[in-house]
Amino acid sequence: MSGLVVDSERCIGCGRCVRACGCTGIVVEGPRGRRLARPTDACILCASCVDACPVDAISVEREEAGAADLASYSGYWVFCQTDASGAPLPVAFELIGRARELADARGCRLTALLPAAANGAAPLIAAGADEVLCCADPRLADDDVEVFTSWICHLAEERRPEAILYGATVFGRVLAPAVAQRLQTGLTADCTVLDVDAQAGLLQQTRPAFGGNLMATIVCPAHRPQMATVRPGVFSAPAPDASRTGSVEEVALGDVPDARVRSLGVETAAAQDTLTDADVLVVVGRGIGSKKNIPLMQHLTDLLGGKLGCTRPVVETGWLEYWHQVGQTGVSVAPKVLLSVGVSGAVQHLAGIGGAETVIAINEDPSAPIFNAAHYRVEGDCIEVVRELVARLEARS
Amino acid sequence: MRILVCVKAVPGSTEVKMDPKTNTIVRDGGSAVLNPFDASALEVALALKDAAAAGDPVRVTVLSMGIPATAKILRDCIARGADDAILLSDRAFAGADTLATTYALSLGAAAMGEAPDLVLCGKMAVDGDTAQIGPELAGALGIPCVADVAELVSLADGALTVRHATDAGVATVELALPALLTVAKDIAQLRMPSIAGVRAAEDAPVRVLSAADAGADSARCGLAGSPTQVVRSFVPERSGAAERVEGTAAGQAAKLVDLLGGMGL
Amino acid sequence: MIDIHPLTADFEDYLRDESRTVGSAQSISFPESEAEVREILARTAPSPVTLQGARTGLAAGAVPEGGHVMNLSRMNRYRGLHVDGETGRFHLCVEPGVILSELRKRLAKREIPAADWDEASLAALARFEQAPAQFFPTDPTEASAELGGMAACNASGARSYRYGAMRAHVSAVRVVLATGDVLALRRGEARARGRRLDLTCEDGRSLSLDLPTYVMPAVKNASGYYVADDMDAVDLFVGSDGTLGIITELELELLPVPAVTWGVSCFFEDESQALDFTIAARPVLGGRAAAFEYFDGAALSILRRQKSASAAFSGLPQVPERYRACVFVELECDDEDQALESLDAIGRAMGEVGADERDTWVARTDVDRECQRFFRHAVPESVNMLIDERRRTDPVITKLGSDMSVPDDRLHDVVALYRRTLAEAGLESAAWGHIGNNHLHVNVLPRDAADYAAGKELFKRWAAEVTAMGGAVSAEHGVGKMKRDFLLTMYGPEHIAEMARLKRRFDPEVRLNRGNLFAASEAEGQPVPAAFAAKGDE
Repeated sequence: MSGLVVDSERCIGCGRCVRACGCTGIVVEGPRGRRLARPTDACILCASCVDACPVDAISVEREEAGAADLASYSGYWVFCQTDASGAPLPVAFELIGRARELADARGCRLTALLPAAANGAAPLIAAGADEVLCCADPRLADDDVEVFTSWICHLAEERRPEAILYGATVFGRVLAPAVAQRLQTGLTADCTVLDVDAQAGLLQQTRPAFGGNLMATIVCPAHRPQMATVRPGVFSAPAPDASRTGSVEEVALGDVPDARVRSLGVETAAAQDTLTDADVLVVVGRGIGSKKNIPLMQHLTDLLGGKLGCTRPVVETGWLEYWHQVGQTGVSVAPKVLLSVGVSGAVQHLAGIGGAETVIAINEDPSAPIFNAAHYRVEGDCIEVVRELVARLEARS
Repeated sequence: MRILVCVKAVPGSTEVKMDPKTNTIVRDGGSAVLNPFDASALEVALALKDAAAAGDPVRVTVLSMGIPATAKILRDCIARGADDAILLSDRAFAGADTLATTYALSLGAAAMGEAPDLVLCGKMAVDGDTAQIGPELAGALGIPCVADVAELVSLADGALTVRHATDAGVATVELALPALLTVAKDIAQLRMPSIAGVRAAEDAPVRVLSAADAGADSARCGLAGSPTQVVRSFVPERSGAAERVEGTAAGQAAKLVDLLGGMGL
Repeated sequence: MIDIHPLTADFEDYLRDESRTVGSAQSISFPESEAEVREILARTAPSPVTLQGARTGLAAGAVPEGGHVMNLSRMNRYRGLHVDGETGRFHLCVEPGVILSELRKRLAKREIPAADWDEASLAALARFEQAPAQFFPTDPTEASAELGGMAACNASGARSYRYGAMRAHVSAVRVVLATGDVLALRRGEARARGRRLDLTCEDGRSLSLDLPTYVMPAVKNASGYYVADDMDAVDLFVGSDGTLGIITELELELLPVPAVTWGVSCFFEDESQALDFTIAARPVLGGRAAAFEYFDGAALSILRRQKSASAAFSGLPQVPERYRACVFVELECDDEDQALESLDAIGRAMGEVGADERDTWVARTDVDRECQRFFRHAVPESVNMLIDERRRTDPVITKLGSDMSVPDDRLHDVVALYRRTLAEAGLESAAWGHIGNNHLHVNVLPRDAADYAAGKELFKRWAAEVTAMGGAVSAEHGVGKMKRDFLLTMYGPEHIAEMARLKRRFDPEVRLNRGNLFAASEAEGQPVPAAFAAKGDE
């Protein structure tokens, strides 16, 4: 029987498992001195308690499923999503780069799936693919999930790859689960690390969960193909090697259903008066001194291709309009880079920038609270630093 | 019209930290809450119910797989306006990954008797972040899926028009029911229940189905039916104090240019 | 030696607070300990000293009128914890610069910094960590307030309906007097006999004081010194607007978090229904209602506009047009059955006044409670934004918000007074606030300088009429500098002179927070100008 198992030799009855459990799935009971953890019927096998146990007394046991002829599956596949012109997206090259290393460790072939004409195959081979399967059928032009699912499933059933990787693009994040469901196999979303156990061939898929607060390493031991999606930008694309050779095969789309979703048009996102979607934010506070420095800050923002935000006092004194305001009474932001200029860092402001990946703060006051929230601290006259920065960025471009 | 809304109970907080003394993960999630994306999906369903023509009423069913205590969250959905609720709850469902969860939910949908015309899911759950359940469930039910829907433009005569995020921008698409949509969190804000709603929900039954009730094949449920396994969990390391960028203003600016360049800017 | 900075442009922010008035000063300091506070007092003598913290006050209490500014924000340590042997309650000792939002977070997460605590405090902390969750009940809207400032003005908040103002929850204070003497006061240890209070400073100096003789109204009140027969000395310092001494430590009594907290927003189609509902629901709900808050039709309209106009407010729930008044009730109960009973009672009370229990929002989850909180806080925030916008066209315009309370049986009367006089004066307004305590913040929204002047006149008139109803001119914001004329109206010149005399016993050179409660000249003992000795005494 599979389930949660407590090793009574190791358990010290500390109760950490009980606190870690979100659903009263484990209790600690017994007389003083011999208190032991015991799983209850409410356990959902989420393994929170396994992680929380300081003495490794808890484990999730499972029956080993009859491994279905795993040896008959071989080779790594990368699904290469294309843009409207038929060119593979950058993430396809990033995946081929990493998959090449994994395939080498396994001593197997690397195949690229290209839903476009064969003339797009050469760069994929230069990036590391041994083989490209192309399909230029017009029914693939509309990114219809059901059509793509059928195509990939037909190929995979016939050719039996051990693993398929997808870019975690909007489309990839819908396509990969649809394929996983059809093939009744495992899928790990948004991996940030991929490794392989060369012997057993198990793909070690590491991904963030709980909003990035926890990392989990996941394997798919008894089902093939193993499948993962990877966010764009996680791996770097390899330098192309034009001397590499590989085969290119045109494959038929086969028997696929008619598309059931009709596109009526696509609006490309316009720059709007909102900060929430910006990857780069320059946020200014009253420390920039006066309204006449706003154009300088806007210029810096433009050079960085970002948007300009500010603190509440900047709006109150009328230097910028309200939609620029970041913080508890403005908007909360989660850019990749936030450059904070002349912001002291009131609690209300800090509450709105908690989602930023990297915060660079420029401020004259070494004790400004903004530095506690920053990854990089630049102590100095913010106007002077920004002028120098602008000059250098201009020179660069 | 029948609308099925799939919901998940998630921990109230997704905060995780490391206990420095024991080197174990402390996940003090507090009590379970309705996954915020699913809350938005429920509001979309309730708004359709409000707007429904008198001759064609909308019936909203909420479905979840979870522990018995999840019934409370489902009852709260009824207080806000859902008509009934189904809870798949059984030891056999424990330890399910997305594939096994999808299987169980597809059985729950079948238990509605009449197949749903529209299935709504949150785009993802805040604890797992996989965004896989919607597309997998659409596959299991054999209906088309549109993911990350930002706006429901129209629904008339069984044809649905929605706007959703794609890699190229926001696309407007049309499809016929039955269909499954996963919704973005901002699509709608779930209403609060009224006093009358709270009172009505107190007596509303939540249909609890065991694996056997749902007619499940135990090999496809829970841990046994899950191809993936978590072999290790850990808290990612974070840098502590801020790194100083020293020098004159010019020197600092030069370092910032390098730093920004390293981040692709 | 601690830095005393000249008050240059870099420190301009410290000349203002949330009242949006701007003062002047020559120098500023940021002490980090009681010793530094005393050092600064000595080094800046005999210059006036204005005390401040987060500057979130609405009565300009922290705005300097010349001299030195002593900002206590960097005195923000947690000093210790003890458990009361009789009540079993926890008492947490903090410095004045601790921020309320941070205190709440630390209590909720049970992460109190205890690095330099003694054995006894650490033992209490161990008990705290195992005890049911604790909270501090005083909840002003602005959670970035600091505890010192909250004690200085005897802050309140929505939950003051059940828990009263801050005063009741302060169990001890350490106070540095202008003379440099230190008073360490613990509740129950120093009490007046009648109106006579004897205190002994740490160095042995004793003070024998005659307390003012007025009788405070039996309503929610933050107007002037708290005085009563046989009163506790701690109570005198809480709510004294920083005029008597500098609080360098205060001890907060914590309470266990209630088992069930539900928020209920009840909507009405007209204001009189909302008033009748409040009167009907108060006795039925009894101690289960922690808060009774009101939002009038104009406030709801501003919210509707704000929701569509600004992305930051797009998360506000939709308020149907037919809703013209809202009463928010926060229920605190021992269990859900009790809470359900209370919901029924609210539904019945709504029915009795001709409203419908379907027009309610019941918040039972954190997400919904947060949504309701956002809704409630968005009202003052939106009005501030509106005023800021108007001020750009005319800088004389600032916020004009009333803060008066009356006894229970005068609720209809006082609202009728507000409505009638606002209509007569042709002023725009929005009202919200603590209707359970018959305490509304009526905000005049001036369109121009003439409106502003008319609004100020109206407030003076209200001060007199509210006093006549047996009410208080400042129920929670404190008097500061903005409302000292109203205090005069409320108590009359003789009693103001008594307060000033009491202040001089602690602060003979009249250095601390000049201009708070009474003008500096009055504090120095000059007679109150007859022109101000207004009505109000009837």
